Amino acid sequence: MFELDVATRHIKSRRRQTLFSIIAVSLAVGIIIIFMSMMSGYTSILIDSTTENQAHITVMPKEGEDYIHLYHGLENHIHDLEGVEGVSSYFQGEAALQYKHNAEGVLLYGINPEDENRVVNRDKYMLAGEFASIENPGSRIILGFKLAKNLDVGIGDSVTAQIPGAEPTDFTITGIFQTGTPLDETMAFVNLGRLQDLYGSGDVITGMGIRMFDAYAAEELANGIDRETGYDAVSWIEQNAEILTLMETSESMVFFIYIIIFSISGFGIANVLIMIVMEKVGEIGMLMAMGTSRRSIMLIFLLEAAILGMMGVVVGCILGYAASAAIASIIIPVPPEMYFGMDHLPIVIEFKNFISASVFAMVINIIAGVFPARRASKMDPVEAIYSV
Amino acid sequence: MSEKYMIQIKNLTKIFGDGVEIKALDGVDLNIEQGEFLAIVGPSGSGKSTLLNQIGILDSPTDGTILLDGVDITEMSDKQRSITRNKQLGFIFQYHHLLPDFNALENVMMPLLISGVKRSEARKTASKVLEEVGLGDRMKHRPNQLSGGQNQRVAIARALVNKPSIVIGDEPTGNLDSKSSDTIYELLRKLNREHKQTFILVTHDERMAAKTDRIIRLVDGKISEDSHNGD
Repeated sequence: MFELDVATRHIKSRRRQTLFSIIAVSLAVGIIIIFMSMMSGYTSILIDSTTENQAHITVMPKEGEDYIHLYHGLENHIHDLEGVEGVSSYFQGEAALQYKHNAEGVLLYGINPEDENRVVNRDKYMLAGEFASIENPGSRIILGFKLAKNLDVGIGDSVTAQIPGAEPTDFTITGIFQTGTPLDETMAFVNLGRLQDLYGSGDVITGMGIRMFDAYAAEELANGIDRETGYDAVSWIEQNAEILTLMETSESMVFFIYIIIFSISGFGIANVLIMIVMEKVGEIGMLMAMGTSRRSIMLIFLLEAAILGMMGVVVGCILGYAASAAIASIIIPVPPEMYFGMDHLPIVIEFKNFISASVFAMVINIIAGVFPARRASKMDPVEAIYSV
Repeated sequence: MSEKYMIQIKNLTKIFGDGVEIKALDGVDLNIEQGEFLAIVGPSGSGKSTLLNQIGILDSPTDGTILLDGVDITEMSDKQRSITRNKQLGFIFQYHHLLPDFNALENVMMPLLISGVKRSEARKTASKVLEEVGLGDRMKHRPNQLSGGQNQRVAIARALVNKPSIVIGDEPTGNLDSKSSDTIYELLRKLNREHKQTFILVTHDERMAAKTDRIIRLVDGKISEDSHNGD
């Protein structure tokens, strides 16, 4: 493998240019790894918070109907389906809450706290009071933290609920929650039976939330429930289709930025190789006279591109890892409602990002070597030898 | 009779240029026997180097044929030409053309490595040849650490290391003072006698040409004189 010998000697003989081209490649690889780690972090936080704060599947009434009647049987049936971790029936209605002169429009959720906790861990988000306090059908209510702030109320205060077609009813505040989402301003929980009574609807619900053991199995099960029961079952993937599509779109846009960054570093490598080829014309001619085939000449310069690229990739991976870890360790306080409940820059250091950045960089670097390598291999040996 | 000639050249013509055509070689016929020590002389522009490059398969003729050891090299593929150059031909140019990033020993090893010989074996063979040209003590020196004459001797060792049947030299002493020239000439002559290889040297040093076995004089791409010294 004399080609490798010649390639490494060429690189060693041009230390400064070699250093700069390695720096260019490693910066490109490093920056892209940071980008990818941020994208991964952003995506995983978004998906985690979505699948944690939301039912994986929501079952809604059949088309043209307002309620799900005789829901107990459906609840038991779904509970027994494979992959289902918990089911929670709810009754949802609009209401106005009033405290002294303050009034706010809210979405009242009538739930059974034990069931609801199995679908979305509400306990985790309680700022004050107990989520289980609305266990029994009494006039107790749990408010979002922003909503409580807007109404200027706290635990133990009494708010009046105005429900269309029903008498104003007083509820005692027994809990306040904070999810870090806009729901903190619009959502309130009461006991399911109590809300059904207030609306005078009888024993019906407006929907059912389902938690799966595997969030990604939700789509399939939702379709199954849809087909089997005729109820409208929607998975979190379908519900968040816009966000997920947006994420995919931004990923493909970022991909173009990757190509541009890598191309710039690729030009650095091409530049060094073109200089080497120009400087080594006589040497290339002599190698040909000694019987080196055109293929071998081409290989020498492609190897040089690969060696430079490889060194850049290794340094770049170390750089990218260090920088990602450093960024991840800094908690940057951002308002939690603004970015899906995040409180710092999300960074997830994933092995596959290093692999794809490295492979991507190597491919572009070797492509960058093709032009100078072809130029060297197409030389006329006589011209090359007598050019010196 | 074709068997006994190492090189058989028939009606070799080389025309350069697309616009203004220059006939560098004009129907050259030449037979060279194995082990001959031969000089090609002539004024500059007479086609000496062109003829040498044709024999060295570095260039292709416009017309005519060259048989090397009975094989027509003008019909060869690019790959075959490379292999033939590696196995059958050794080159010495006016400038040594050593690879500057490699030391003397590595430079001499290069043709062997190109032909796929194992590194350890190549090292052994190359050091033997370097000793033969009197550079046993300079093996680890790079070209920039050696004198012009020494570099040219390394280049000779490199040309001989693959045991080629033909050694081609284009002004091999053209860049050296007369003392070094004589040393190089004596060395080439000695190697020619010992190894029975065919040596073809292009030179315009008449003094050196006079010491060879045979002189081919080229004028305007044609052979004007073919004389055997001592005839």
